[in-house]
Amino acid sequence: MAFATIQPFQFVALRLPSESIRVEQIIPNSQINLGKYGSFRTNQIIGRPYNLTFELLDRSEVQDGRELRIVSAAELHALALVEQAETEDAATPQTDLEDSGARSTPKSNVNTHDDPTNQKLTMAEIEALKQDDLGSGKALIEKIMQSHSTLDQKTAFSLAKYTLRKHKKYLKRFSVLPLDVSILVDWMMSDREFARIMEMRNEAVALVGCWANIHASGHDYLSPPNEPSSRYLVVDDTGGLIVAAVAERMGILHQKDLEEGVSKTREEDADEQPEQPEAVLPHKDRRRHYRQSLMSAPSNSITMVHANQQPNLGLLRYFNFDANNPTPSHPLYTSLKSLSWLQLLEPESDITYQEPEIIPPEELAKAKSNRRSAYFRKRRRWERVKTVVDETRAGGFDGLIVASYTDSVSILRPLVPLLAGGSQVVVYSPNVEPLVELADLYSTARKTAFINTPQEERRVPSEDFPVDPTLLLAPTVQTARVRQWQVLPGRTHPLMTSKGGAEGYIFVATRVLPAEGKVAARGRPGRAKKTRAEESTKVPATATDGELSQSPLKKQKIEAEEAFSAQPTLASLRVEPTVEPMIVEQNGES
Amino acid sequence: MVSPFLSPGLVSKEHDLASLHLRRDQSLPVVLSTEVTSAEHVGYAEGVVTNTRFGSFPHTTMIGVPWGSQIRASKVDTGSRGRKEAINAKKRKAEVLEQSQTNSQNGESVVAVEAASSGFVHLLPPTPENWTISLPHRTQVVYTPDYAYILHRIRARPGSRLIEAGSGSGSFTHAAARAVFNGYPTASDSGSEQQGTAAGDVESLGKVFSYEFHAERHKKVKAEMVEHGLDGVVHTMHRDVYADGLLVYKDESEEKTSPEANAIFLDLPAPWEALPHLTRDRRDGTPSALDPNSAVHICTFSPCIEQVQKTVSALRQHDWLDIEMVEVQHKRIEVRREYTGLAYEGMRGVNPYAVDVEEALAKLREVERRARDFHAGSLADRKPANGGQQHGGGKLPFDGGKLVHRTEPEIKTHTSYLVFAVLPRAWSEEDEAAAQAKWSKHVTVASNVPKSQRQLKKEAKLRAKNQRQAQNGVDNGNEAKEAIEEVMEEAAGSTKE
Repeated sequence: MAFATIQPFQFVALRLPSESIRVEQIIPNSQINLGKYGSFRTNQIIGRPYNLTFELLDRSEVQDGRELRIVSAAELHALALVEQAETEDAATPQTDLEDSGARSTPKSNVNTHDDPTNQKLTMAEIEALKQDDLGSGKALIEKIMQSHSTLDQKTAFSLAKYTLRKHKKYLKRFSVLPLDVSILVDWMMSDREFARIMEMRNEAVALVGCWANIHASGHDYLSPPNEPSSRYLVVDDTGGLIVAAVAERMGILHQKDLEEGVSKTREEDADEQPEQPEAVLPHKDRRRHYRQSLMSAPSNSITMVHANQQPNLGLLRYFNFDANNPTPSHPLYTSLKSLSWLQLLEPESDITYQEPEIIPPEELAKAKSNRRSAYFRKRRRWERVKTVVDETRAGGFDGLIVASYTDSVSILRPLVPLLAGGSQVVVYSPNVEPLVELADLYSTARKTAFINTPQEERRVPSEDFPVDPTLLLAPTVQTARVRQWQVLPGRTHPLMTSKGGAEGYIFVATRVLPAEGKVAARGRPGRAKKTRAEESTKVPATATDGELSQSPLKKQKIEAEEAFSAQPTLASLRVEPTVEPMIVEQNGES
Repeated sequence: MVSPFLSPGLVSKEHDLASLHLRRDQSLPVVLSTEVTSAEHVGYAEGVVTNTRFGSFPHTTMIGVPWGSQIRASKVDTGSRGRKEAINAKKRKAEVLEQSQTNSQNGESVVAVEAASSGFVHLLPPTPENWTISLPHRTQVVYTPDYAYILHRIRARPGSRLIEAGSGSGSFTHAAARAVFNGYPTASDSGSEQQGTAAGDVESLGKVFSYEFHAERHKKVKAEMVEHGLDGVVHTMHRDVYADGLLVYKDESEEKTSPEANAIFLDLPAPWEALPHLTRDRRDGTPSALDPNSAVHICTFSPCIEQVQKTVSALRQHDWLDIEMVEVQHKRIEVRREYTGLAYEGMRGVNPYAVDVEEALAKLREVERRARDFHAGSLADRKPANGGQQHGGGKLPFDGGKLVHRTEPEIKTHTSYLVFAVLPRAWSEEDEAAAQAKWSKHVTVASNVPKSQRQLKKEAKLRAKNQRQAQNGVDNGNEAKEAIEEVMEEAAGSTKE
């Protein structure tokens, strides 16, 4: 796995006692400063596992060069475990060793008054204590707690709060978390400009990934060369978050060969094949081993369409990938393809798509070396751009993911036809309105009107049909929000406050291939006459012959339908509410 | 076998699972087949036929067509088949089946199909999402918003090894298989996998270990995995995980091996009873079920708050960290057009109220006028020009009214509470000493870095520059010079490729 231990040059998330997150690159032989919590040397955490909590040791406590102490889980949970034991004891009438006195008269906050004189230490004294070598702050907390005169009056609840608060203030601890998309979003959400990633929460990232059916393609050799799989089309205004999330689900975001174990096996492999000249120049040749050309992956690839000349993928730097200066060993080097709208829609207007003139070899041999390399560079760039543009325009993508401030209608119009049948279209928007509009453009009523328009009169885009409504099936708009809870003994409740802001909505639909010619839906015979014209797309039928009920699956369907009854359909305006119960009844009888 | 969930290809193939999309939220999972294998398909002249309320669909019309195609219904004689069956009632079903199989092999009974005048479905490739809404319910289903968030948070990624306890209806199983999938095991791999000596390439393959204690449900999930081509990705086991743990073995006598899981999903009534089996150190000497080389993420799925409290305290006792409890609230948004106005009077699904005060006024004036006329005795124009009448039988314009949205009529206000936690990999004193020895001094990392030497040099230079700037304060001349240098270098770098 990608995150066995902390590796040099990886970016990591450091969680501080205040619950805030800092993202740092682990550069060997350097220091990371955590502000008031102190600083530590990166070599003290390199090679150690992730998700551990370290405590900065005081100079006097350093032993054998260890400047950090790993805090055990029991220590981290100490408070909760004590409370847990207390509440369990309270349930059984047993005298506790420490505070049996307090147990007889349950503590309450009746005598608690907000009085600054309760804390016997003055600010100056606390500052002085801090200056003294009191190590990691634990002793300091202890001192402060001892000198708090009303501490024994505090209820378990306020005591817990008090100690936690003190801990947060004075403990010199930090946890090292692997930087993945989930943590990155948490970090952007709490400590960074959330708007930069379109206020996309983890729940939205998760929904987008699932609904877009993003997954790895598996071994390349299994899919025939003419049937590449897992090719996704992306429009990303979140600075690379969408690309990162998609790549993570495809297994091409994190560099795996950074791990010692993996790199070792690779070296061994190289040793086993001495016939290759790798033994002579191991470094250079290993690189050539990676050296597939940029943007060349046939399967398992992401194609990004961008509005500027260069894609904005700034966030990928946290995964050690710089789109303007890509690292050949990174999996995104071959798998992330990008092209501009101009290159996609009007390639002939784009200079990089034009073939540079061919210089005959004999002339080239005479040319200066920098001119020669410039020539080859130009040729290579042209080849790359041409391949990417041509294969994108050929279509057959397995999904489209859009998160953009640009009008999504104008994005879907050219991109939906590039999708293979049965693939998913997912559009994220921080606000619901653009998606409502989009859903309306693919509504059943509009689709019906489009189908009923004679073929030769159909115009896309036109005022009534900005997009071809028959290309997408069952558009839905949805949102999800996670609510966090505090779970502590006797004090379990949802968090009192959380982040507001954009709700975050996603639009989901399936690309379909409409049949050629006129297709009539099977409607209800009774109403068919009256509203034939309207119902010519999809409206439930009553033609339930006896056989249907023989299929157990069918029965399941009906039951499921009962559960789903009154689902919102865009056609709900003209679907009689009595239709569904009636069918259920019919099947129930047989 | 290749799974249609993961590698559907461009066109549907025989034996693929397909999702027939009937209408919104309603799809019918069907295994495409040309051979009659069950009694319910016996007797059609067209071979295997799926009947829906939108018509009958012989499978021959759905095999070898591009996914996503709209499929027309066919004219299928369903009536005479029913009568024939009545005649054959005495015959054993198996016999009928056998007979029809021989018929279909001879190619006698399969006739060319004729498109019906109406009715269609869309032929979609199966996805965990459309499977989730159409699967046969055996237990409470984990729906898309929940499993999406869970898989994201327990870091189920290509190559992960995921434990699912409580296979249940299998919705999570399918989504998990998609998440961890990064290749099918080859024949030799699956052989070694069965022996439990997963080695070499297999180790990097993502796998789902799915445990179910209910024998019948286990059998169904297992059959489903084979049918869906996921048996190479999902290892199903019949097991009471509270009592017997989560190691991989076929029967008690066999050697128990570890699934080496790094992501765990517990959909059990009492997750705290399974937690003692999910520790790093096993006192009884059996191997740990967890991946020794990475942190393990866990999620438990419980509907009741009491279960959550017990789970959380058990997690604390077993040294899990970052314990977090959330619930996912999911809403679907209904988008519709709302039609208000007297013009729509008499139509269904509209608000027959005045669209604005002017319209109300106009109507009131009209009523007043008619009343006056009535009293004046001029009954001549009894038929006023009522806008609603002319619209009565017509249709509502698709772009009329007002575009509105709201939450769907029924929402799932509570599915379950999700408890997340993480268990770091074990780290002993010796490990720490080794790491200390390796990294304590000034080290030079030459190879195996994520960036090329040139990139690193450039970045180091940039950092040094920033530091110098911070120290020097404002030193314009120097800065400008450096900026020029920087630009030059950048240009050189980008052209070098």
